[in-house]
Amino acid sequence: MTKDPDNVDIQAALQQLKVTFIDKIPAKITEIKQVWQTLKSEPTDDEVSQLLHRLTHTLAGTAATFKLEELAECAREIEHTIQSFSTSPSESLAVTEIESLLESLSNIVKNTSTSPVTSIDQTDPPKASIASSSLDISKNNLVYLVDDDEDFSHTISMQIQTFGYQVRSFLTLALFDEALKQQEPAVVIMDVMFGDSKSAGIDYIAERNNDRAVPLQTIFISGSHDIVTRLNAVRANGFAYFTKPVLMTSLVSAMDKLSFKVEDIPYSVLIVDDSATQSKHAALTLQQAGMKTREVNDPLLLLNTLAEFTPDLILMDVYMPNCTGLELSQVIRQMENYVSTPIVFLSSEDDLGKKLGALSLGGDDFLTKPVKPWHLVSAVSSRAFRARMVRKLAETDGLTGLLNHSKSKECLKNELARAKRENTPLAFAMLDLDFFKNINDTYGHPTGDCVLKSIANLFNQRLRKYDIVGRYGGEEFVIILPNTDLQAAKKLINVIRTRFSKLVHYSEDEDFCCTFSCGIAAFPEFSSEKSISDEADKALYQAKEAGRNQVICARKQSSAEDHLI
Amino acid sequence: MQELSRILYAEDQIDIQQVAILALETVGGFTVKTCNSGLEATMAIDNFKPQLLLFDVMMPDMDGPTALIKIREMPDYKNTPAIFMTAKVQSNEVQSYLDMGAIAVIAKPFDPMTLASEIQEIWQRSQQ
Repeated sequence: MTKDPDNVDIQAALQQLKVTFIDKIPAKITEIKQVWQTLKSEPTDDEVSQLLHRLTHTLAGTAATFKLEELAECAREIEHTIQSFSTSPSESLAVTEIESLLESLSNIVKNTSTSPVTSIDQTDPPKASIASSSLDISKNNLVYLVDDDEDFSHTISMQIQTFGYQVRSFLTLALFDEALKQQEPAVVIMDVMFGDSKSAGIDYIAERNNDRAVPLQTIFISGSHDIVTRLNAVRANGFAYFTKPVLMTSLVSAMDKLSFKVEDIPYSVLIVDDSATQSKHAALTLQQAGMKTREVNDPLLLLNTLAEFTPDLILMDVYMPNCTGLELSQVIRQMENYVSTPIVFLSSEDDLGKKLGALSLGGDDFLTKPVKPWHLVSAVSSRAFRARMVRKLAETDGLTGLLNHSKSKECLKNELARAKRENTPLAFAMLDLDFFKNINDTYGHPTGDCVLKSIANLFNQRLRKYDIVGRYGGEEFVIILPNTDLQAAKKLINVIRTRFSKLVHYSEDEDFCCTFSCGIAAFPEFSSEKSISDEADKALYQAKEAGRNQVICARKQSSAEDHLI
Repeated sequence: MQELSRILYAEDQIDIQQVAILALETVGGFTVKTCNSGLEATMAIDNFKPQLLLFDVMMPDMDGPTALIKIREMPDYKNTPAIFMTAKVQSNEVQSYLDMGAIAVIAKPFDPMTLASEIQEIWQRSQQ
């Protein structure tokens, strides 16, 4: 019962990396086989032989890292045989041996693909839904696109990839069926019409879902507006239905929802209980379900912790010395910031009247001790989920899902206070897309929206979990990088800048690229909220003046700290 | 004794890179600059100013040992401790890396849960 929660996260992250790697193996083997064919026809070509050596060597090494022993062993053997083949190519035995090893390599892969995935996705369903806020599901970004129109398929999968998804497209249902047996995608995008059948896609998904405990997360795309088709799509558990031409932003929003990209951060729960043993027990139970907890054993210290920890939910004991949980909940409710934070009472109280009284004073739920672990987890996670949804609506920008202007400012204030308290650096970056108005004017607003969404996705992928990104307005963004100095921030943003400038955006007329300019200011060089944001803004202006597509750091005037930059 | 925090890491395999980053950053709490080849490492070193070099041996462009030789030519990094990671752990090869000035050779595949502590130990030994 006492697994370290960080450890659990790391294991989940490792498992996810493993799954990603496994998905890439077939392509790697195809490449190895191709290079092998080349080497066979030109056995004395040193370059080809070295390439093949390296490919097998790295496959063996990576497979071993992920503890895919059998695969590693086989690749290693091929590597050695190739070395002996290169030294004496006339040896026909080596050819036969390599061919047969390559064959066994393919066979091992067929057996490997299925096993680790099932252990991730389809364990017992109640646990999966509780853990939806932690890593395992959220990082699955594999999308299966099934459409018999090759051109459409190609264009759309290129576009989806710019939003950070990994796409595999299938032209027939049979190919999709085969892939499904090997690995579960996070999302299926399914064409409705195949060949002569007007609803083959829907029929297929309906049939698959009949055999499954958890339905495939499916988005249908169709040329038909017909209500009967839509109805069938809903009956087949379709999550969304789009008609062609498909609007990219809507499609990606639907995908984000399905792949849990939105809910990445574990729920944070503040536990208020005068008994350290009791609070520890609740904390451990919630941590097991992937939540973050903080315990307060002296109710009078609650306010300090509350401001710093900003919990998704407060779990409170009713009877405590000095003040009761009911009084405390009233105090919390009188503070504007916590009006919507759910409070769940925990007590041995069995009197219904008293329970109802507690709820009328601002509590949201009442659990009776001793509470079963799964009951606690489900009561807490369902309330935290809804509270977070509500808060999200109020704090985020609808298009990009990033924090809105006022929330970004609030975060800067909080993070700056924390940086001062903990004496750590903090960087604040302001970014503005270059010539964005031209993009809107030339390609239209829907295309402009796609660009905004794609940069938001890039931020989400490239930044660390605790970094904060907001859309300040229009095409302007801010990034708060806690515990990061000016130089490190510049490097990080430059990586994102380069990556973004290489992203190809699509419009109906032509493909194009877009860049951004950025200004960064940091604490301790600047120490007030206003000076940091003013200086970052000035630096951004300089970056624009200097020709755009660059990052400029704000330096403190006449300071000895200049050499830092 | 100086606390180890900045590691310059070179590895051409993205999949292994990610596992190592998880092992070094998340588990170990180090600051890691990752490079895809020895060549990249030689170019990145001046900006990053690492305390420790962690190089894969076999990489395209420039392998780990060659990169170390280049780096040793730079006055600032004559003595920066270096560790090689390799799947080939025959003793004569290990010896040749140690002779080049590496302080240790870590065998691949490494264990992501213990890599950071292994490196920490090697670092502490080297600082004594």
